[in-house]
Amino acid sequence: MQRRQKGILQNIAQRLDIPQDIVLDLPRITMLGNKQLLIENHKGIIEYTSSLVRVKLNQGELYVHGHNLLLGNLQTEQILIEGTIAEVKYGT
Amino acid sequence: MALKLRKYINGSVKICIKGAMPEKFINLCVAERIYLWGLSKENEDLYAWIELSDFYRIRPLVRKSYTQVTVKGYRGWPFLAKRIWRRKMLVLGAIMCLITIQILASYIWFVDVVGTKATSPLKIAEVAQEYGLKPGVLKDTIQSKRIENAILIAIPEVSWVSVNFTGTRVVIEVVEKTLPKQDDKAPANIVSDRDGIITEMIALAGQPAVKKGDTVRKGDILIKGVAPLIAPVTPEQAAQSAPQIAPVQPVKARGIVKARVWYESYGEAALQQTTTERTGRQETEVLLHFGGYVMALKRAPQPPFELYESEITNKRLPQWRNSQLFVESTIQVYYELQAFPQEISVEQARDEAKARALQSVQQIIPESAQILARNIEILKLNEPNLVRIKVGVETVEDIGISQMISQ
Repeated sequence: MQRRQKGILQNIAQRLDIPQDIVLDLPRITMLGNKQLLIENHKGIIEYTSSLVRVKLNQGELYVHGHNLLLGNLQTEQILIEGTIAEVKYGT
Repeated sequence: MALKLRKYINGSVKICIKGAMPEKFINLCVAERIYLWGLSKENEDLYAWIELSDFYRIRPLVRKSYTQVTVKGYRGWPFLAKRIWRRKMLVLGAIMCLITIQILASYIWFVDVVGTKATSPLKIAEVAQEYGLKPGVLKDTIQSKRIENAILIAIPEVSWVSVNFTGTRVVIEVVEKTLPKQDDKAPANIVSDRDGIITEMIALAGQPAVKKGDTVRKGDILIKGVAPLIAPVTPEQAAQSAPQIAPVQPVKARGIVKARVWYESYGEAALQQTTTERTGRQETEVLLHFGGYVMALKRAPQPPFELYESEITNKRLPQWRNSQLFVESTIQVYYELQAFPQEISVEQARDEAKARALQSVQQIIPESAQILARNIEILKLNEPNLVRIKVGVETVEDIGISQMISQ
Protein backbone atom coordinates (compact mmCIF):
# COMPACT_ATOMS: atom_id res chain seq x y z
CA MET A 1 0.00 0.00 0.00
CA GLN A 2 2.76 2.40 1.01
CA ARG A 3 4.87 1.38 -1.94
CA ARG A 4 1.99 1.99 -4.24
CA GLN A 5 1.33 5.39 -2.75
CA LYS A 6 4.95 6.31 -3.22
CA GLY A 7 4.84 5.21 -6.79
CA ILE A 8 1.82 7.41 -7.41
CA LEU A 9 3.41 10.36 -5.70
CA GLN A 10 6.56 9.91 -7.76
CA ASN A 11 4.48 9.73 -10.88
CA ILE A 12 2.63 12.93 -10.03
CA ALA A 13 5.87 14.71 -9.11
CA GLN A 14 7.42 13.76 -12.41
CA ARG A 15 4.42 14.92 -14.32
CA LEU A 16 4.04 18.19 -12.49
CA ASP A 17 7.77 18.86 -12.58
CA ILE A 18 7.98 19.28 -8.80
CA PRO A 19 11.38 18.51 -7.19
CA GLN A 20 11.24 14.96 -5.97
CA ASP A 21 13.11 15.55 -2.73
CA ILE A 22 10.25 17.61 -1.39
CA VAL A 23 7.54 15.23 -2.42
CA LEU A 24 9.31 12.06 -1.41
CA ASP A 25 11.17 13.41 1.63
CA LEU A 26 14.57 12.45 0.20
CA PRO A 27 17.87 13.85 1.36
CA ARG A 28 19.59 16.31 -0.94
CA ILE A 29 23.32 15.75 -0.96
CA THR A 30 25.51 18.44 -2.47
CA MET A 31 29.23 17.94 -2.87
CA LEU A 32 31.79 20.56 -3.61
CA GLY A 33 34.75 18.69 -5.05
CA ASN A 34 36.09 16.53 -2.29
CA LYS A 35 36.16 19.41 0.19
CA GLN A 36 32.60 19.93 1.29
CA LEU A 37 29.56 17.77 1.55
CA LEU A 38 26.20 19.26 2.43
CA ILE A 39 23.43 16.92 3.49
CA GLU A 40 19.98 18.41 3.76
CA ASN A 41 17.00 16.66 5.26
CA HIS A 42 18.94 14.27 7.49
CA LYS A 43 17.76 12.40 10.55
CA GLY A 44 20.79 12.78 12.81
CA ILE A 45 24.33 11.58 13.25
CA ILE A 46 25.05 7.99 14.16
CA GLU A 47 28.81 8.17 14.40
CA TYR A 48 31.43 10.82 13.99
CA THR A 49 35.19 10.44 13.93
CA SER A 50 37.78 12.31 11.93
CA SER A 51 37.87 9.58 9.30
CA LEU A 52 34.21 8.50 9.16
CA VAL A 53 30.87 10.20 9.48
CA ARG A 54 27.68 8.14 9.53
CA VAL A 55 24.52 10.12 8.94
CA LYS A 56 21.07 8.67 9.41
CA LEU A 57 18.72 9.26 6.53
CA ASN A 58 15.12 8.42 5.75
CA GLN A 59 16.10 5.21 4.08
CA GLY A 60 19.17 3.77 5.66
CA GLU A 61 22.32 5.75 6.31
CA LEU A 62 25.14 7.53 4.54
CA TYR A 63 28.79 6.65 5.12
CA VAL A 64 31.29 9.37 4.45
CA HIS A 65 34.90 8.22 4.54
CA GLY A 66 37.86 10.56 4.39
CA HIS A 67 40.33 12.21 6.68
CA ASN A 68 40.40 15.36 8.82
CA LEU A 69 36.65 15.46 8.67
CA LEU A 70 34.96 18.32 10.48
CA LEU A 71 31.35 19.17 10.94
CA GLY A 72 31.31 22.74 9.88
CA ASN A 73 27.67 23.37 10.47
CA LEU A 74 25.12 21.35 12.33
CA GLN A 75 21.47 22.23 12.17
CA THR A 76 18.18 20.46 12.13
CA GLU A 77 17.92 20.79 8.38
CA GLN A 78 21.47 20.31 7.29
CA ILE A 79 24.91 18.98 8.06
CA LEU A 80 28.02 20.38 6.46
CA ILE A 81 30.97 18.01 6.40
CA GLU A 82 34.32 19.57 5.62
CA GLY A 83 37.73 18.00 5.10
CA THR A 84 39.07 15.61 2.50
CA ILE A 85 36.32 13.25 1.44
CA ALA A 86 37.36 9.94 -0.11
CA GLU A 87 34.18 7.96 -0.33
CA VAL A 88 30.45 8.43 -0.03
CA LYS A 89 28.42 5.31 0.34
CA TYR A 90 24.77 4.39 0.93
CA GLY A 91 24.04 1.66 3.34
CA THR A 92 20.83 0.17 4.53
CA MET B 1 28.92 37.63 7.09
CA ALA B 2 25.76 38.44 8.96
CA LEU B 3 25.98 35.08 10.65
CA LYS B 4 29.55 35.75 11.75
CA LEU B 5 28.52 39.12 13.11
CA ARG B 6 25.68 37.53 15.06
CA LYS B 7 28.04 34.93 16.46
CA TYR B 8 30.42 37.67 17.53
CA ILE B 9 27.76 39.80 19.18
CA ASN B 10 26.13 36.90 20.99
CA GLY B 11 29.45 35.34 21.93
CA SER B 12 30.46 31.78 21.30
CA VAL B 13 31.97 29.06 23.49
CA LYS B 14 34.19 26.20 22.50
CA ILE B 15 33.23 23.12 24.41
CA CYS B 16 34.82 19.72 24.75
CA ILE B 17 32.42 16.82 24.96
CA LYS B 18 33.64 13.65 26.62
CA GLY B 19 31.77 10.44 26.98
CA ALA B 20 30.86 7.18 25.34
CA MET B 21 28.39 8.62 22.85
CA PRO B 22 29.09 12.23 21.93
CA GLU B 23 27.03 11.70 18.79
CA LYS B 24 23.98 11.34 20.97
CA PHE B 25 24.61 14.70 22.47
CA ILE B 26 24.90 16.17 18.98
CA ASN B 27 21.64 14.66 17.90
CA LEU B 28 19.93 15.96 21.00
CA CYS B 29 21.28 19.43 20.25
CA VAL B 30 20.03 19.22 16.70
CA ALA B 31 16.64 18.15 17.96
CA GLU B 32 16.60 21.09 20.39
CA ARG B 33 17.55 23.42 17.50
CA ILE B 34 20.79 24.31 19.17
CA TYR B 35 23.19 25.49 16.54
CA LEU B 36 26.62 23.86 16.58
CA TRP B 37 29.51 24.52 14.26
CA GLY B 38 33.17 23.80 13.76
CA LEU B 39 32.90 20.29 15.17
CA SER B 40 36.09 18.27 15.22
CA LYS B 41 37.20 15.11 16.86
CA GLU B 42 40.57 14.51 18.43
CA ASN B 43 41.25 11.27 20.28
CA GLU B 44 37.68 10.49 21.25
CA ASP B 45 37.09 14.06 22.42
CA LEU B 46 34.61 16.07 20.45
CA TYR B 47 35.12 19.79 20.22
CA ALA B 48 32.36 22.07 19.09
CA TRP B 49 31.45 25.73 19.05
CA ILE B 50 28.19 26.78 20.53
CA GLU B 51 26.49 30.09 21.04
CA LEU B 52 26.72 31.53 24.53
CA SER B 53 22.93 31.77 24.92
CA ASP B 54 22.61 28.12 23.94
CA PHE B 55 25.33 27.11 26.36
CA TYR B 56 22.97 27.53 29.32
CA ARG B 57 20.42 25.27 27.64
CA ILE B 58 22.59 22.20 27.12
CA ARG B 59 22.75 21.07 30.76
CA PRO B 60 19.73 18.70 30.55
CA LEU B 61 21.04 17.36 27.24
CA VAL B 62 24.40 16.61 28.80
CA ARG B 63 22.69 14.69 31.59
CA LYS B 64 20.57 12.76 29.14
CA SER B 65 23.46 11.75 26.90
CA TYR B 66 25.80 10.80 29.78
CA THR B 67 28.60 13.07 28.62
CA GLN B 68 30.76 15.66 30.31
CA VAL B 69 31.14 19.08 28.84
CA THR B 70 34.03 21.40 29.62
CA VAL B 71 34.66 24.88 28.28
CA LYS B 72 37.85 25.18 26.21
CA GLY B 73 37.64 28.69 24.93
CA TYR B 74 35.43 31.61 24.25
CA ARG B 75 35.19 34.41 21.76
CA GLY B 76 32.95 37.36 21.13
CA TRP B 77 31.69 40.62 22.44
CA PRO B 78 30.23 39.51 25.82
CA PHE B 79 33.62 38.21 26.93
CA LEU B 80 35.43 41.25 25.62
CA ALA B 81 32.91 43.46 27.41
CA LYS B 82 33.57 41.57 30.62
CA ARG B 83 37.32 42.08 30.28
CA ILE B 84 36.85 45.73 29.51
CA TRP B 85 34.58 46.09 32.52
CA ARG B 86 37.26 44.52 34.67
CA ARG B 87 39.70 47.18 33.45
CA LYS B 88 37.28 50.07 33.26
CA MET B 89 39.84 52.54 34.53
CA LEU B 90 41.99 51.90 31.47
CA VAL B 91 39.05 52.62 29.20
CA LEU B 92 38.14 55.64 31.27
CA GLY B 93 41.71 56.90 30.96
CA ALA B 94 41.68 56.43 27.19
CA ILE B 95 38.40 58.31 26.92
CA MET B 96 39.68 61.08 29.19
CA CYS B 97 42.82 61.32 27.07
CA LEU B 98 40.77 61.72 23.90
CA ILE B 99 38.54 64.29 25.56
CA THR B 100 41.55 66.22 26.85
CA ILE B 101 43.14 66.26 23.41
CA GLN B 102 39.85 67.39 21.93
CA ILE B 103 39.53 70.18 24.49
CA LEU B 104 43.12 71.31 24.15
CA ALA B 105 42.87 71.23 20.38
CA SER B 106 39.87 73.54 20.44
CA TYR B 107 41.95 76.38 21.90
CA ILE B 108 44.36 78.67 20.14
CA TRP B 109 47.91 78.17 21.31
CA PHE B 110 49.96 80.25 18.95
CA VAL B 111 49.36 83.33 16.85
CA ASP B 112 51.81 83.89 14.03
CA VAL B 113 52.03 86.92 11.79
CA VAL B 114 53.51 86.27 8.37
CA GLY B 115 54.45 88.58 5.55
CA THR B 116 55.15 91.85 7.34
CA LYS B 117 57.97 94.04 6.16
CA ALA B 118 57.56 97.61 7.29
CA THR B 119 54.90 97.18 9.95
CA SER B 120 55.75 95.30 13.08
CA PRO B 121 54.08 91.92 13.54
CA LEU B 122 53.47 92.88 17.17
CA LYS B 123 51.23 95.71 16.07
CA ILE B 124 49.09 93.38 13.99
CA ALA B 125 48.98 90.83 16.78
CA GLU B 126 47.86 93.61 19.11
CA VAL B 127 44.94 94.53 16.87
CA ALA B 128 44.02 90.87 16.60
CA GLN B 129 44.17 90.60 20.37
CA GLU B 130 41.73 93.47 20.73
CA TYR B 131 39.24 91.45 18.73
CA GLY B 132 39.83 88.36 20.82
CA LEU B 133 42.46 86.54 18.82
CA LYS B 134 45.13 85.56 21.31
CA PRO B 135 46.59 82.37 22.74
CA GLY B 136 44.25 80.63 25.15
CA VAL B 137 41.00 81.54 23.39
CA LEU B 138 38.46 79.05 22.12
CA LYS B 139 38.68 78.63 18.39
CA ASP B 140 34.93 78.76 17.90
CA THR B 141 34.69 82.27 19.29
CA ILE B 142 36.97 83.68 16.61
CA GLN B 143 35.31 85.35 13.68
CA SER B 144 38.15 85.49 11.24
CA LYS B 145 36.31 87.75 8.79
CA ARG B 146 35.72 90.36 11.49
CA ILE B 147 39.36 90.28 12.56
CA GLU B 148 40.54 90.54 8.98
CA ASN B 149 38.42 93.63 8.49
CA ALA B 150 39.54 95.10 11.80
CA ILE B 151 43.21 94.71 10.90
CA LEU B 152 42.58 96.24 7.48
CA ILE B 153 40.94 99.26 9.06
CA ALA B 154 43.32 99.66 11.98
CA ILE B 155 46.54 99.39 10.02
CA PRO B 156 46.44 101.35 6.77
CA GLU B 157 49.72 99.87 5.52
CA VAL B 158 48.05 96.50 5.11
CA SER B 159 46.32 95.89 1.81
CA TRP B 160 45.28 92.27 2.26
CA VAL B 161 45.05 90.03 5.29
CA SER B 162 43.86 86.51 5.95
CA VAL B 163 43.37 84.70 9.25
CA ASN B 164 43.87 80.98 8.92
CA PHE B 165 43.66 78.15 11.41
CA THR B 166 46.14 75.34 11.14
CA GLY B 167 45.42 73.14 14.11
CA THR B 168 46.04 75.11 17.28
CA ARG B 169 48.05 77.72 15.39
CA VAL B 170 46.57 80.82 13.87
CA VAL B 171 48.47 82.30 10.97
CA ILE B 172 47.73 85.92 10.13
CA GLU B 173 48.99 86.41 6.63
CA VAL B 174 49.56 89.99 5.62
CA VAL B 175 50.38 91.71 2.37
CA GLU B 176 51.51 95.29 2.74
CA LYS B 177 50.84 98.21 0.51
CA THR B 178 53.82 99.81 -1.10
CA LEU B 179 53.24 103.42 -0.10
CA PRO B 180 54.92 106.22 -2.00
CA LYS B 181 57.92 107.53 -0.14
CA GLN B 182 56.87 110.55 1.84
CA ASP B 183 58.99 113.60 1.36
CA ASP B 184 60.44 114.92 4.52
CA LYS B 185 59.12 118.44 4.71
CA ALA B 186 60.96 119.37 7.87
CA PRO B 187 63.24 122.36 7.46
CA ALA B 188 66.82 121.38 6.80
CA ASN B 189 70.14 122.84 5.75
CA ILE B 190 72.50 121.33 3.27
CA VAL B 191 75.90 120.89 4.85
CA SER B 192 79.18 119.70 3.50
CA ASP B 193 80.13 116.09 3.81
CA ARG B 194 83.83 116.53 2.92
CA ASP B 195 86.52 119.14 2.61
CA GLY B 196 86.78 120.64 -0.85
CA ILE B 197 86.57 123.58 -3.20
CA ILE B 198 83.14 124.43 -4.56
CA THR B 199 82.89 124.10 -8.32
CA GLU B 200 79.17 124.27 -8.79
CA MET B 201 76.37 125.68 -6.70
CA ILE B 202 72.72 125.32 -7.67
CA ALA B 203 70.28 126.12 -4.87
CA LEU B 204 66.75 124.92 -5.65
CA ALA B 205 65.34 125.87 -2.28
CA GLY B 206 66.93 127.93 0.44
CA GLN B 207 69.68 130.49 0.40
CA PRO B 208 73.21 129.61 -0.73
CA ALA B 209 75.75 130.25 1.99
CA VAL B 210 78.87 129.73 -0.09
CA LYS B 211 79.77 130.52 -3.65
CA LYS B 212 81.80 128.95 -6.39
CA GLY B 213 85.49 128.84 -5.57
CA ASP B 214 85.05 128.83 -1.82
CA THR B 215 86.91 126.35 0.26
CA VAL B 216 84.64 124.43 2.63
CA ARG B 217 85.36 122.11 5.49
CA LYS B 218 83.33 119.16 6.54
CA GLY B 219 80.19 120.29 8.36
CA ASP B 220 80.00 123.80 6.87
CA ILE B 221 76.54 124.99 5.84
CA LEU B 222 76.28 125.14 2.07
CA ILE B 223 72.62 126.07 1.58
CA LYS B 224 70.62 127.62 4.38
CA GLY B 225 67.13 126.28 4.86
CA VAL B 226 65.37 129.63 4.94
CA ALA B 227 63.26 131.52 2.49
CA PRO B 228 62.26 135.19 2.75
CA LEU B 229 58.60 135.73 3.51
CA ILE B 230 57.07 137.66 0.69
CA ALA B 231 54.45 139.83 2.33
CA PRO B 232 52.04 141.92 0.31
CA VAL B 233 54.01 145.10 0.11
CA THR B 234 52.47 148.41 -0.69
CA PRO B 235 54.73 151.31 -1.59
CA GLU B 236 53.91 153.14 1.67
CA GLN B 237 54.61 150.13 3.79
CA ALA B 238 57.80 149.52 1.90
CA ALA B 239 58.91 153.03 2.65
CA GLN B 240 58.09 152.66 6.31
CA SER B 241 59.58 149.26 6.96
CA ALA B 242 62.61 149.50 4.76
CA PRO B 243 65.23 149.17 7.49
CA GLN B 244 63.57 146.16 9.01
CA ILE B 245 65.11 142.79 8.40
CA ALA B 246 62.91 140.66 6.17
CA PRO B 247 61.26 137.92 8.15
CA VAL B 248 62.30 134.43 7.14
CA GLN B 249 60.54 131.14 6.99
CA PRO B 250 62.39 127.87 7.54
CA VAL B 251 62.26 125.50 4.56
CA LYS B 252 63.92 122.32 3.53
CA ALA B 253 66.93 123.33 1.49
CA ARG B 254 67.47 121.52 -1.78
CA GLY B 255 70.19 121.91 -4.28
CA ILE B 256 73.28 120.54 -5.96
CA VAL B 257 76.65 121.50 -4.58
CA LYS B 258 79.63 120.05 -6.38
CA ALA B 259 83.16 120.38 -5.19
CA ARG B 260 86.66 119.25 -5.94
CA VAL B 261 87.80 116.78 -3.34
CA TRP B 262 91.24 115.25 -2.78
CA TYR B 263 91.90 111.81 -1.49
CA GLU B 264 95.18 110.32 -0.46
CA SER B 265 96.25 106.84 0.32
CA TYR B 266 99.32 104.78 0.78
CA GLY B 267 100.45 101.26 -0.07
CA GLU B 268 103.63 99.28 0.30
CA ALA B 269 105.11 95.99 -0.84
CA ALA B 270 108.18 94.08 0.19
CA LEU B 271 110.67 92.67 -2.28
CA GLN B 272 111.37 89.67 -0.08
CA GLN B 273 108.20 87.82 0.65
CA THR B 274 107.37 84.52 2.21
CA THR B 275 104.39 82.41 1.36
CA THR B 276 103.26 79.38 3.32
CA GLU B 277 101.75 76.16 2.20
CA ARG B 278 100.33 73.19 4.02
CA THR B 279 102.61 70.18 3.86
CA GLY B 280 99.80 67.71 4.46
CA ARG B 281 100.93 66.56 7.88
CA GLN B 282 98.44 67.22 10.61
CA GLU B 283 97.73 66.53 14.26
CA THR B 284 94.27 66.32 15.80
CA GLU B 285 93.29 67.13 19.34
CA VAL B 286 89.88 66.19 20.71
CA LEU B 287 88.68 67.74 23.93
CA LEU B 288 85.43 67.10 25.74
CA HIS B 289 84.07 69.87 27.89
CA PHE B 290 81.71 68.60 30.48
CA GLY B 291 80.33 71.32 32.69
CA GLY B 292 83.47 73.00 33.99
CA TYR B 293 85.72 70.03 33.35
CA VAL B 294 87.82 69.35 30.31
CA MET B 295 88.63 65.86 29.30
CA ALA B 296 91.16 65.17 26.57
CA LEU B 297 90.22 62.26 24.40
CA LYS B 298 93.21 62.78 22.17
CA ARG B 299 96.08 65.14 22.73
CA ALA B 300 98.47 66.68 20.26
CA PRO B 301 102.08 67.51 21.17
CA GLN B 302 102.54 71.16 22.08
CA PRO B 303 103.67 72.81 19.92
CA PRO B 304 102.68 70.32 17.24
CA PHE B 305 104.92 71.73 14.49
CA GLU B 306 107.48 74.40 14.04
CA LEU B 307 105.14 76.34 11.79
CA TYR B 308 101.45 75.59 11.82
CA GLU B 309 97.92 76.86 11.57
CA SER B 310 94.92 75.35 13.28
CA GLU B 311 91.23 74.88 12.70
CA ILE B 312 88.79 74.48 15.56
CA THR B 313 85.45 72.74 15.26
CA ASN B 314 83.01 73.00 18.12
CA LYS B 315 80.25 70.51 18.50
CA ARG B 316 77.60 71.16 21.07
CA LEU B 317 74.44 69.44 22.14
CA PRO B 318 71.37 71.43 21.20
CA GLN B 319 70.29 73.72 23.99
CA TRP B 320 67.53 71.62 25.41
CA ARG B 321 64.94 73.43 27.44
CA ASN B 322 66.78 75.42 30.07
CA SER B 323 69.16 72.67 30.85
CA GLN B 324 72.33 73.91 32.41
CA LEU B 325 74.09 70.72 31.50
CA PHE B 326 76.73 71.87 29.13
CA VAL B 327 78.54 69.33 27.02
CA GLU B 328 80.76 70.42 24.21
CA SER B 329 83.44 68.76 22.18
CA THR B 330 86.26 70.64 20.57
CA ILE B 331 88.20 69.21 17.69
CA GLN B 332 91.33 71.13 16.92
CA VAL B 333 93.31 70.21 13.84
CA TYR B 334 96.86 71.49 13.44
CA TYR B 335 98.26 71.67 9.95
CA GLU B 336 101.99 71.83 9.40
CA LEU B 337 103.10 74.70 7.20
CA GLN B 338 106.16 75.24 5.14
CA ALA B 339 107.55 78.66 4.32
CA PHE B 340 108.70 79.55 0.83
CA PRO B 341 110.79 82.71 0.59
CA GLN B 342 110.13 84.59 -2.61
CA GLU B 343 111.89 87.47 -4.24
CA ILE B 344 110.09 89.76 -6.64
CA SER B 345 111.37 92.49 -8.88
CA VAL B 346 111.07 96.18 -8.08
CA GLU B 347 108.49 96.63 -10.84
CA GLN B 348 106.31 93.86 -9.45
CA ALA B 349 106.57 95.24 -5.95
CA ARG B 350 105.64 98.68 -7.23
CA ASP B 351 102.57 97.35 -8.99
CA GLU B 352 101.53 95.51 -5.90
CA ALA B 353 101.93 98.54 -3.67
CA LYS B 354 100.06 100.66 -6.17
CA ALA B 355 97.19 98.20 -6.32
CA ARG B 356 96.95 98.19 -2.57
CA ALA B 357 96.97 101.95 -2.34
CA LEU B 358 94.31 102.30 -5.06
CA GLN B 359 92.18 99.68 -3.47
CA SER B 360 92.17 101.46 -0.14
CA VAL B 361 91.35 104.82 -1.72
CA GLN B 362 88.59 103.35 -3.84
CA GLN B 363 86.72 102.33 -0.73
CA ILE B 364 86.37 105.94 0.39
CA ILE B 365 85.41 107.53 -2.94
CA PRO B 366 81.65 107.49 -3.52
CA GLU B 367 80.48 105.82 -6.70
CA SER B 368 78.92 108.96 -8.12
CA ALA B 369 82.21 110.83 -7.94
CA GLN B 370 83.88 111.86 -11.13
CA ILE B 371 87.61 111.28 -11.05
CA LEU B 372 89.60 114.17 -12.46
CA ALA B 373 93.16 113.17 -11.85
CA ARG B 374 95.19 110.43 -10.29
CA ASN B 375 98.65 111.09 -8.99
CA ILE B 376 100.93 108.21 -8.13
CA GLU B 377 104.13 108.93 -6.31
CA ILE B 378 106.88 106.54 -5.29
CA LEU B 379 108.31 107.56 -1.97
CA LYS B 380 112.06 107.53 -2.11
CA LEU B 381 113.35 106.27 1.15
CA ASN B 382 116.53 104.48 1.89
CA GLU B 383 115.00 101.06 2.36
CA PRO B 384 116.28 98.33 0.07
CA ASN B 385 113.54 95.82 0.78
CA LEU B 386 110.44 97.97 0.59
CA VAL B 387 108.56 99.95 -2.05
CA ARG B 388 106.23 102.65 -0.76
CA ILE B 389 103.59 104.28 -2.96
CA LYS B 390 101.46 107.28 -2.32
CA VAL B 391 98.34 107.82 -4.41
CA GLY B 392 96.45 111.07 -4.65
CA VAL B 393 93.07 111.21 -6.38
CA GLU B 394 91.18 114.31 -7.29
CA THR B 395 87.46 114.10 -7.87
CA VAL B 396 84.42 116.23 -8.40
CA GLU B 397 81.42 115.12 -6.46
CA ASP B 398 78.23 116.24 -4.80
CA ILE B 399 79.23 116.96 -1.23
CA GLY B 400 75.91 118.23 0.11
CA ILE B 401 73.93 116.25 2.62
CA SER B 402 70.70 117.24 4.25
CA GLN B 403 70.82 118.07 7.91
CA MET B 404 67.73 118.88 9.96
CA ILE B 405 67.62 122.28 11.54
CA SER B 406 67.28 121.62 15.22
CA GLN B 407 64.56 123.77 16.68
